[in-house]
Amino acid sequence: MRIRTLRLLAATAACAVATTTLAACGSGGPSRGGGDTLSVWVYQDGSTVIQEEFVEKFNETSDIKIDLVQIPGDNYTDRMRTAMGSPNAPDVFFNWGGGSIADFVEQDMLVDLTPILDEEPELKDAFIPTILDAGAVDGRYYGIPMRGVQPVILFYNKTAFAEAGVEPPATWDDMLHVIDVFLDRDTVPAVVAGADPWTELMWLEYLLDRRGGAEIFDRIRNGDASAWSDPAVRWMADTVKELVDAGTFGNNFRSVNYTADGASTFFAQGGGVMHLMGSWEYANQLSQQPEFAAEDLGWAAFPTVPDGTGDPGALVGNPTNYWSINSEVEGERLDAALDFLRMHAEPEYAQALIDNGDIPTTANAESLLDSHASPEFARFQYDMVAEAPSFTLSWDQALPPGKAPALHDNIEKLFGGQMSPEDFVAAMQDL
Amino acid sequence: MSTSARRRRRANIPAGAAAFLWLVIVAVPLYILVASTVQSRSSYLENGPLSLPGEFTLDSYRRVLEGDFPRYLLNTLIVTVACAAIVIVLAVTVAYSIIRTRTRLSRRVFQIFLLGLAIPSQAVIIPIYLIITELQLYDTLLAIILPTAAFSLPVSVLILVGSMRDIEEEQYESMALDGAGPARVLWQLVVPMTRGGISTVGVFSALGAWNGFLFPLILTQSRENRVLTLGLYDYIGEFRVDIPALLAAVVLSIVPIFTAYLFARRQLINGLMGVGGR
Amino acid sequence: MTTAPRRRTGRPGIAWAVPGLLFFLFFAAAPMLIVGYLSFTQWDGLSNPSWTGTDNWDRLWNDDTMRQAIALSLLLTVLTWLFQTPIALLLGVWAAGRQRTRALLSAIFFLPLLASSVALALLWKTIFDPNLGLNAQIADWLNLSSADLLGSPRGAFAAVLFVTAWQFIPLHTLLYQGGARQIPQSLYDAAALDGAGTVRQFFAITLPQLRNTIVTSSVLMVVGALTYFDTVLILTRGGPGDATTIVPFLMYRTGFQAFDLGYASAVATALVITATAVSLLLVRLTGFSKMRSTREGI
Repeated sequence: MRIRTLRLLAATAACAVATTTLAACGSGGPSRGGGDTLSVWVYQDGSTVIQEEFVEKFNETSDIKIDLVQIPGDNYTDRMRTAMGSPNAPDVFFNWGGGSIADFVEQDMLVDLTPILDEEPELKDAFIPTILDAGAVDGRYYGIPMRGVQPVILFYNKTAFAEAGVEPPATWDDMLHVIDVFLDRDTVPAVVAGADPWTELMWLEYLLDRRGGAEIFDRIRNGDASAWSDPAVRWMADTVKELVDAGTFGNNFRSVNYTADGASTFFAQGGGVMHLMGSWEYANQLSQQPEFAAEDLGWAAFPTVPDGTGDPGALVGNPTNYWSINSEVEGERLDAALDFLRMHAEPEYAQALIDNGDIPTTANAESLLDSHASPEFARFQYDMVAEAPSFTLSWDQALPPGKAPALHDNIEKLFGGQMSPEDFVAAMQDL
Repeated sequence: MSTSARRRRRANIPAGAAAFLWLVIVAVPLYILVASTVQSRSSYLENGPLSLPGEFTLDSYRRVLEGDFPRYLLNTLIVTVACAAIVIVLAVTVAYSIIRTRTRLSRRVFQIFLLGLAIPSQAVIIPIYLIITELQLYDTLLAIILPTAAFSLPVSVLILVGSMRDIEEEQYESMALDGAGPARVLWQLVVPMTRGGISTVGVFSALGAWNGFLFPLILTQSRENRVLTLGLYDYIGEFRVDIPALLAAVVLSIVPIFTAYLFARRQLINGLMGVGGR
Repeated sequence: MTTAPRRRTGRPGIAWAVPGLLFFLFFAAAPMLIVGYLSFTQWDGLSNPSWTGTDNWDRLWNDDTMRQAIALSLLLTVLTWLFQTPIALLLGVWAAGRQRTRALLSAIFFLPLLASSVALALLWKTIFDPNLGLNAQIADWLNLSSADLLGSPRGAFAAVLFVTAWQFIPLHTLLYQGGARQIPQSLYDAAALDGAGTVRQFFAITLPQLRNTIVTSSVLMVVGALTYFDTVLILTRGGPGDATTIVPFLMYRTGFQAFDLGYASAVATALVITATAVSLLLVRLTGFSKMRSTREGI
C-alpha cells in the first residue's frame, strides 16, 4: 500500500528532524498515557467536580494513578475523536454511548465490558437496566454510566407564570395560549440558544416524538433514511416554522450560545419564561443563579400535540454519560481502569451526584432522592425516567458523528428561516 | 520644516476625519474590553458593556490567575522562544548559503522558499496531524513548535536574504584575506551586520507563535500542554457567562506582547512589516 | 595552489542551507504532497486511508456546500480588499506625517495588531451578544426589534468582514505609512508650486508612488482573506447554517468535525491550488523573485 511507504518515509524523515531540533531546543515532549498512569478524559462542566473528587480518592489507594483531562466547550466530541486517531488516545473517556462510540466499536478500539458485567452481577444490577442498555452498541456493553440521568425538561419561570395567570402547558393548545399571553406581555415566551443548534434540536425531538412516536427516529437511527419522509417529520418542521414566525423564541435567539450561558442567564433574568433544556439546567442554575433556582424555577413535561400518536410519557435527551475504556489498555492498567469504573456503582458516588443536583442512574437512586437539594425536582425527574416507555438519545449523539455537522446546519437554517420545512425534510433525507 | 510641507500635512482633512472615525471604532471596543474587566459579574450583567464600572474591582483578574492561566502562559512562552530560536538559526544559515553560493542550486532553494510563502497552514493541517501522530508527538508542545517554526521560515529567509544583500563584497573579501572560514565570516561579519534583520525575524516568528491557534487546536488536548490561544478559546465554556473574567483573560493574554511592544517597538513594527516580505 | 585561495574566500557551501531546507520541506512541502495523495482516499482518521480514485474530486465539483464556500471565500476576499484598502491607505498616508498627535494616534491604531485573532474574536463575540452586549444597547437606543447580528446570514458575514478588517487594517496602515514616508518631499513641493491641491497631489503623486506598497498589501490581504479561520470558528462557527462557511472552515468542519479526512484533503488541495495561483500571480507583479534588496528604513 502506498500510504504505508509514505508514512514510513514521513516517519523516518520526521525522526531525523525531530532529533536535531530536540537536541537544539532541549524541550522534550512529555509522553502521557503509558507506564503507571491512566489518562481519563471528561467533558468539563458543572458536574466535573465529582470526577475530580473521585479521581483523587482513586489515586490515594491505587498504584496506577489517573490523570484527569478536562475538555470544556462545545467541541469535546471533535477533540476526543481527533485524539482517538492518535497514539496519545485517552485510556478512559466520557461519551454519550450510541453513535458517539459506534465508529470506535467498529474499529475494535473499545474494551467490551459485557463479559465483566456478566461475571459481576452486583456491578450490573447496580444500574437501572434501561440506562445501561441505552449505551450499548449491537447489544454489547462498552460503557458504565457515570453521570445523572439527563432527560429534556420544560423549565419555566413559576413567578412569571403566576403573574400572567397561566399554568405550565399540558396540551399544544395550552402551549399556544401561553405563547400568546407572554407575547402580549412583551416577554419572550421560550428561550433557545440558537447558536448551539443542539438546543433547537430538543424542540424537534419532542415534537416528532409526541406526534409520531419514538419509532420514527428509531428507524432513522438504524439507517432507514426514508423515515424522514414520514408526515410527522413534516408536521414537526411546519410547527417549528410557525413557532419561530410567531416570535416564540424572540428576535435575538439565533446568536445566543448555551455553552456561554447566554440563554440560561437571559432566562434567569426574566427575559424569557420557558426553557426546554436537559435536566442539567437545574444544577447549572443552582450554581450560577441560586436565587432564581430556589424561588422561580419550575419544571414540567413536554405537552401533548394534536393527533399525536406518541406516548406523552416518552422522553428525549441523554439517558446518561458513560465511561468507556480504550482497548489498548491492558494488564494491570486495565485492572486499574476497571476498578475505577466499579467506583461508579457505589453508593458514595450516587450520593455525590445527588449532592450536585443530579439524579443517579443506580438502582438505589430512589432511596437517595430525599437528600437532594430539591427533593421535589428529584422525585419529578426520577419518576419521569422510571415511567418513560422510551428514552430517545439526542439525534446528534445517536447518529454517526459524520452526520452531526450537516444535521446542525439544517436545524439552524430551519430555525433561522433560511430553509423551508419542505426543503428541511428533503435535506434530512440526503443527510 | 518648509511651509509648503506644513501646508500639505495640515490640509489633509479627509484623511484626518477618517483617522478620527477610526479612532472611535478602535477605542470603543478597547474601552469595553478594559472597563468590563474591572467590575463584578453581576454589575456587568446589570449595566451592560458601555457603562462606567460602578465599583472598581480586580477580582476578575484574580479568578483568571488562580486558574490555569499561568501554566498556559508558561507553555506559550516556551513555544514562542523555541520557535524564534529554531527560525533564527535555520533562516540565518539558509539565507547565508543562498547569498554566498551563487549557483543554480541556491537559486532553486530560494525559489522553493518563495513558493512556500503561498502555502496556507490551514491547507496542510491534515497531513501535519498525520505526521505529528506518526512521530508520537501528538499533545506535546513540540507538536506546536515544529510546524509553526517551519511555516515562519519562508518569510524569514526572504527578510534575511534582503538584509544580507546589503553587505558589501569588499567586506567579505577582507575577511577572506584574513583566512576566515565560512563559519567565522557568518559569526563575525554577517550576523553583526544583519542584526536588524535577525531581530525582525525573531520578533515576527515569535509573534506568529504567540498568536497561533490552528496547530494547538488540532495537535494538542490536555491542560498541561495548552497554550494561551487555545486556553482562551476554552474559557468560553469554562467561564461561561462570567464575561469580566473572560475578558480579563483576553487582556492578560495581550499584556506580555504589549510590554514587549513598549520595549522593542522598532523591531516589532519591522517584524510586522516583515509579514510583507520587506 | 589554485584551490587554496578559493577555499580561503570563506564562501559557505549549499550544505549550509540543507538543515533549514529539510526542515521546511518536511513540515510544509511534504504535507502538500501528502494532502494531495489523501485527496484520492477515504480516511476516517481511525483506520488506514483507502484509495478511492477520483471519488472525492468528482464529489467536489458537484458539491453545493463547496460551491457556496468558494463563492463566500471569493466574496469575502473581494470585499476585504475593497473595505480595507481605502481605509488603510488614507490612514497610512495621514499617519506618515510626523506630528505628535499623529504618532500618538498611530500607536492606538496599532493596538489590535498585538492581540491574537482568538482574543479579538472573543472580545467581539461578547460585544455582539444580542442580550448582554453592545448590540443590545444599540438596538435599545435605536429601537430596533432585533440585535441578532450574528444570527442572520448577512449580519454574520458582515461581522466576519468587519472584525477581520478591524484586526488587520493596522498592519496595512503600517505598510502604507512606511511607503508614504519614502516619497520624496520634492515631488510635493513641485506640485504645490504648480498649484495642485491636496486631492490632486494625492492622486497625482501619492498613489502612483505607493504602487509597490499597494501590491504588497494586496497580496497579504488576498492570501489572508482566503485563509481566515480563527475568527470564523469563534465568532460564527460557520453559521448561521452555513452562511459563513468559507473554504478553510469547510475543510476544518469536514476533516475534524465530520472526520471525512479524505474529502477534507480534496477541499484543502483546492485551497492550496487557489492560494498558490493567486500568490504566484501577485508575487510576479511585486518582483520578489528578482532577489532585490527591498529593505527600507522605517
